[in-house]
This record gives sequence, C-alpha cells and structure tokens, in this order.
Amino acid sequence: MTHLTPGYHGCYLNVDLSTNCAQRVELDESDLRKFLGGSGLGVSLLLRDGSAVKDPLSPEAAIVFVFSPLVGSPLTTSAKFAVVSKSPLTDRINDSLASSGFALHGKKTGHDAIMIRGRAAQPSILIIDNDQVRQEPASQLWGLSNRQVQSVLRERLGAEFQIASIGPAGERQICYATISHDGRHAGRGGSGAVLGAKNIKAIAVRGTRQSSWSDRTRLVDLAKELSQRSLGPATAKYRELGTASNLLTFNRLHVLPTHNFQEGSFAGAQAISPEQLSTSRRRTRAYCAACTIGCEHIYELNDDQDPPGDGVRLEYENLFALGSLCGIDDPDVVLAASRKCDDMGLDTISAGGTIAFAMECVQRGLLDEPWLRFGQGDALLRALDQIGSGTDAGQLLAQGSRRMAEQLGHDSIHFAPQVKGLEMPGYDPRGLQTLALGLAVGARGADHNRSGAYEADFSEAVDRRNVGPEAAAMAIETEDKAALMDSLILCKFLRGVFSDFYAEAAEMLRLVTGWDVTGAELRETAVRIVNAKKEFNILAGWTPQEDTLPERVLRESLPDDTQARLSPEKLASLVRAYNSGRGWTPEGWMPGI
Amino acid sequence: MKVNVELFGIPRARAGVAKAAAAGESLGDVLSDLARRYPQLGTSCIDGRRLREGYTVNLGGERFVTDPETQLEEGDTILLLSLDAGG
Repeated sequence: MTHLTPGYHGCYLNVDLSTNCAQRVELDESDLRKFLGGSGLGVSLLLRDGSAVKDPLSPEAAIVFVFSPLVGSPLTTSAKFAVVSKSPLTDRINDSLASSGFALHGKKTGHDAIMIRGRAAQPSILIIDNDQVRQEPASQLWGLSNRQVQSVLRERLGAEFQIASIGPAGERQICYATISHDGRHAGRGGSGAVLGAKNIKAIAVRGTRQSSWSDRTRLVDLAKELSQRSLGPATAKYRELGTASNLLTFNRLHVLPTHNFQEGSFAGAQAISPEQLSTSRRRTRAYCAACTIGCEHIYELNDDQDPPGDGVRLEYENLFALGSLCGIDDPDVVLAASRKCDDMGLDTISAGGTIAFAMECVQRGLLDEPWLRFGQGDALLRALDQIGSGTDAGQLLAQGSRRMAEQLGHDSIHFAPQVKGLEMPGYDPRGLQTLALGLAVGARGADHNRSGAYEADFSEAVDRRNVGPEAAAMAIETEDKAALMDSLILCKFLRGVFSDFYAEAAEMLRLVTGWDVTGAELRETAVRIVNAKKEFNILAGWTPQEDTLPERVLRESLPDDTQARLSPEKLASLVRAYNSGRGWTPEGWMPGI
Repeated sequence: MKVNVELFGIPRARAGVAKAAAAGESLGDVLSDLARRYPQLGTSCIDGRRLREGYTVNLGGERFVTDPETQLEEGDTILLLSLDAGG
C-alpha cells in the first residue's frame, strides 16, 4: 500500500513457525475498508488463506491475532484484539476477543494483524519485538498455569512485553481451551488448543510504532465526550455490580439455566449471587487498558493459600455455568472452579456445560461415574482436575458435550447443551425466544456475544415466550451490530450509550482514518462480515441441519414456566425467516457459494 | 391500590431493599410513589412517572412495559430491573 491510511499500519505479520520465518504482508486499503479489523479482517484473511478446509489443529492451519483502527486511540474500550481461527470444537469459524495491553503493544509492533501457521519444533514462546521475531524454547514453562507463565515471562522479558498464553488445557489441545492475557481470556471455541497444537506456550509482544490519526483534535474531543457518556446510567450495572448481577434477575424470570437446562430457576441462586458474595468477602474492581467502565469485579477466595489481592474475576457466565447449571450453591466452590478454569485456560461456559451434561448422563445411568452428581461441589472441582490431568473421565469431558454425546449414544445428544458443538450460554432459550433464534443461527455456535438478541426479549418489542416472525429482523439487527463492534473493535458494554450506533461509529472511523465513511456504509460492512463468516462455514462443511437447538429445548417446556416453550416447527420457521431476511435461500445457503 | 415491587440490580442497590410495596393505579403512579419512598432510587432510576434510560419494568415476570399509563391491578407484582443483559 503506497498511501498509509491513518489508524492502520497497512500490513500484517505472517509467521511460519515450522520454518522460523516471518514476513510483512501488505494489506490493500480497500480490503481494510471492507472488513475494518478484529473479527471482520480476521475472517477475510482466513478465507483468503483457505483455512475453512484445513484441520484446525494441523500445522497448515492459521490462527490470526487481529487489531483494529481504533486500537491505540483515546476512545474508551478500544484496546481490544480478536483471535480468529477455525474452531477445533465446532469445526466452524471462531472469533474470540480479549482486551488490554496485548492489543496496544501488538498493534505497536507495526502490524494490523499477526498470522501464525506451522508448528514449532519444540515447546516455544514466540517473541515479536517490533520487526524482530524469534522463538525461544519453553520446555521449562510447559505445564505452568496462565498466571505462572505470564509472571515468569514478565520477569524474564521485562514489563513492557505483553503476554498472551495458554494454560495446561491448551497444551493438551483440549478443544475448549482459551488464550489468556492479563487475567482475561479469548475464551470461546478453543483458540488455546490451536496455539497448543503449534507448540506455542505464549506470545510476547512489544512495540513502539503508534499509528497516526486523521483528525487528532476532534478525535480527542469525541473520546472525552464518549468517556463521559460511558459513566452514565447505561453502564452503571457493569460498573457497580458487574455482569454477575444478571443472576437473580434471570432466576426470577425463569431463564437461569439450571441442572443442565432441566429447569429455569435455581433454589440456590441467592447463595451464589454477587449481592450475597459481597457481604462475605472483599471485592475489588479492575479495568481493561483504555477503559472507563471497569466492569471487572474480583472476589477474594476464602483460601489461606491464595495471595492477598489475587482474587477471581467473576462474570455472570462462569457463575451460571459453574453454579446453577451444575446445581452448585456453594460460592466458595464456584469461585474455586472459576480459578481452576482461569489457571488451566478452560472456557468456563464449555467446561460447566460439559460437566453439567455429564452429571445428567450419570443421573440417567448413561455414564458410570457415580461421584459426578448435580450439586456436589467436590465433584465439580474433581471433574475440572480430571479434565486437566487427562484421566479417562477427563478425556471424555475434554471433548465437549457434542462429541461426548456422540460417544455415549442413547440419544444423549438431545440434551447436550450445545449448538454446532459450542456449549450454550446462560440464557434459557425457551423464555428468550429471539435469542433462541440468534443462538441457532450463530456462525460460531450458541453464543450471546455474537447475537445480542436478548435485547429484544428484554423489551416490549416481542413476547419473549412466544415470539413471532418479527423476531427474525431483530436477530439480524443485533447480530449485525455485534459483528461491527467486534471489528471496529469496541466493547459491547458501550452499546447502551449510543443513540445512533452506526452514525456514531462512522464518526469515530472518519476521525481515525480520514475515510468519508457513513453509517449506511457501516451497516453494509456489518452485513459483509456476517456473510464472510457464513461463507467460511459453508466452505467448512456447514449444513442447514446445524442451525437448530438441542431437542430438549424444542420439545420440553420449562417446568417452572410452562408457557415458555418452543417447538421444532416454530424454530425452523424463525430460521427460514432469518435466512430470507439475510438474502440467503430459506435453507440458509448463500447465492454463489 | 397496592402493588408489590421486586427490585434487582442497580434499583435494588439504590433502594437498599429487594422488595417493596407501592401505591398507584398506573405504572407511572407507582414509579412516582417509589421515588418518594426511596429518594436515592428516585434520583438515579426514575424521572417523574417514567424510568430513566438503562432501566425497565417487567409486569408479573411476564411482559415488559414502559408506558406510564399502563393500568395495574391490586396485588400486581412489578419487577424493576437494570436493562442490559450480557456478560
């Protein structure tokens, strides 16, 4: 690229671990404008690479860390990066996001993305110091937890280096292993396993190259104004209580998944609620870099061996997955289980979902592990340990609920809590039916971060327990918005502060890049990104039968809210309406692909 | 006419209670009454007869309502919530 667009470096770094070579590859400005950064740019790079037809754990597979034009700007919540690859859990597209210094320094190395392929000859760390790329042996780091390895590497390399690492779960290529940075995780879909398959324990980045901005003065003014708005009522819940405060609300509305989605409310909800936890232990708050919201609420463990101040980040999703979903009402167990997942590098939703599924299999006599019972805290912790250590039971659980069900048979797939292999988040779809559609059609499987369709369910726009065809347009709208936020990149917790998201996002992008971009163009960009993910999945072998929900959700009403019920016919009708609304065939095929 | 109010999230934190009773024929009346009884809740979450941005009301665990003229019945239960889910 001869003209360098402000906000970008105009290139990505292509690292081949097998040959120990790295080269700078130019990015065309028109491609950047079409896909922006983050998830969008990542998917477009993987499509060009042919990743859709590769085994995600093979040396040929690529994994790409993608920054964005807004990274490094003064805009609040913009210090984020996407990790994009084919998922070893779903065999479909996977884009996971995390935040903070790795995004800032990764981009400052002078690249808009870092693509990694090949396989290191031995366990290694990959060090990217501006243009200098090298591998160092990491055999002595293999087996360390995320906290341990990041601490060791900060000590060894210096505090300026920002570290993204895998825990023992990634090393063992557990297909729901995460990539961790500074206590946060690119969590869903198993990107940690992809890195582990490449023999990479950690990536360390340090850079000094700040990209320019087209209109610095107005950008700083806009950033100040946005920061001010981010301190308003739309984010008060995240700032003051954290996402975990969803628990009691969802419990009251009977949409809190309990005992592997057998019920929608949990008798022990109060005991594990953040309101209760705050009365019995110290809670502190933390912020991602460049964030004014500070949604992270960190609870101390009641454990003498835990260093003071070294608590556990508690989010709604780990609270539900390791709490109500497994029938656990002991907050110490939920926090200890969250800590184990963080250290091992396990996605808490998939870990909790798979263990809850196994508990129900034991309950039904399909699995001979009598210790693994709902409500048994020691069983939850033991199951996590076994996943980490690779016992027979642990290896079964490490596959995720879909593959486990395929192995166990007896129609257990009907109550495996997953879509496309990705375990479902903490929203019972029967009582949140716009989201039910969003989960069914999601490109990376059942995920609340790629479809915020629950926004419609928590409004007057629909009857959440009996939605009509109008839900399709709402699912499309929220999915498009998420695709754009994940590509700009901005935190979704900001979404409530925008009165016209597309127009305001266009203003940000204009001030950073100098492009004459409009809200209408960004709407088209969002659709293009959703289409690119769909194209990837079709090339990877997607079929229309995947866009559904577990049989349990479609055939059983919630016992505590019998009016909340879906049916296979109703969901199929919604999916057809969604596909038609997308301009695809009613079955979901894209013309020309 | 009395209605039961259950508070969650920020509304609960501001009011300092999980449950309350309030009086009014309509949603707007009830919100006004709550604001009088719990001034911090009123300041943060209620603007006259309406909720401020970021909050919502669910009637009986069933449907979400925002219109202050929504008529209530004796013994109804309303849930006062922070709006955004996610996490």
